[in-house]
Amino acid sequence: MDAISQEQPKDSLGVLNDTIIYKSPYGLRLGIDISKPIKASVDGAYNNGFEIVADYRIKKKLFLAAELGFEDHTTLEDFTNSTASGSYVRLGINYNLYENWLDMNNEIFFGFRYGFSLFDQTLNTYSPNVVNGENNGAPYFPSNTIIANETSNLNAHWTEFMLGFKVETLKNIFVSGSISYKIAISIKEPNNFKTLYAPGFNRIFDSGTGFGFNYTISYLIPFSKK
Amino acid sequence: MKKIIGILCLFVMISSCEKDDFCTQNPVTPKLILRFYDDADRTSTKQAESLYVWAANKDSIFVNIATDSLVLPLNGNTNQTIYNFSKAGLIEQLTINYMAENEYVSRSCGFKIHFSDISFAPSNNWITDFTTIETTLENQNAAHVQVFH
Repeated sequence: MDAISQEQPKDSLGVLNDTIIYKSPYGLRLGIDISKPIKASVDGAYNNGFEIVADYRIKKKLFLAAELGFEDHTTLEDFTNSTASGSYVRLGINYNLYENWLDMNNEIFFGFRYGFSLFDQTLNTYSPNVVNGENNGAPYFPSNTIIANETSNLNAHWTEFMLGFKVETLKNIFVSGSISYKIAISIKEPNNFKTLYAPGFNRIFDSGTGFGFNYTISYLIPFSKK
Repeated sequence: MKKIIGILCLFVMISSCEKDDFCTQNPVTPKLILRFYDDADRTSTKQAESLYVWAANKDSIFVNIATDSLVLPLNGNTNQTIYNFSKAGLIEQLTINYMAENEYVSRSCGFKIHFSDISFAPSNNWITDFTTIETTLENQNAAHVQVFH
């Protein structure tokens, strides 16, 4: 009797050893956005762009995330030509919605960010709108193109909702893509002009919203496995 | 996954088009509106017939028309526009002086020219009198100046 009752806990310990628990790495992931240099070489209006991304896993599904970047973009409209240039930072969290199989470390994530940008916007040239009628007919007195070269120091704050994926392609190397919807909190406007583009926010629509995407390659520095 | 694709499609749809893509304001820069009145009966309008209108050193903007109101653009590149009005061979030269400032409207409409402090100097060949109603061009809804002949 005594021997049996003593064996009981030994048995259940054996069962525990049978279940394999897949541990996943916790650490700092660092990367760069590879879409921005490509965009700069292809898109004539996009002069320059660079973005560093980082995230740090704090819980099983929760990551602290940040992006730091620089952009230079020329906005060509029918009657104005302006260039915005400056740096931005986005801070927030990613929440992984994807249940991984076995020991995989992929993610489909939802993210939230606070964004802040410090930049210059230069109104390069403009021609006053004197077009005739709805068909933009030639005016009797055509307006001259005015070389303004007026630069204003501006800033923008916004919130951002993201949706993206992360795939571990090689060990600790991740390819990631995301799209984002941005809602402006405050945008400083220049005198007698408008802030048409903010680095990190992209084109500012009339409603104070914007869209963005990134495509990054990053490396995970694992600190521990849990 | 289907949900994600759905949201992606929605993003593309929203981002492709917004109301600030088109300038719906027409015209952006208002023109000067002249209304012709009878010099004998100052409350009633009177048509100017066989009227030719041209600005100094430019082609005619109106050729042989009969009208009681004219819509004339002002030259935003300078502070003065000189118009010639020929009625039955008599040429009236009207010098219009003003301040022209460029004022930002919107992304798609760009800048408008805001004309203010408008004053008129006629040569009084067939036009007898002028009454300025508006010295600033805010819109094109009503006459800015009454012309008596």
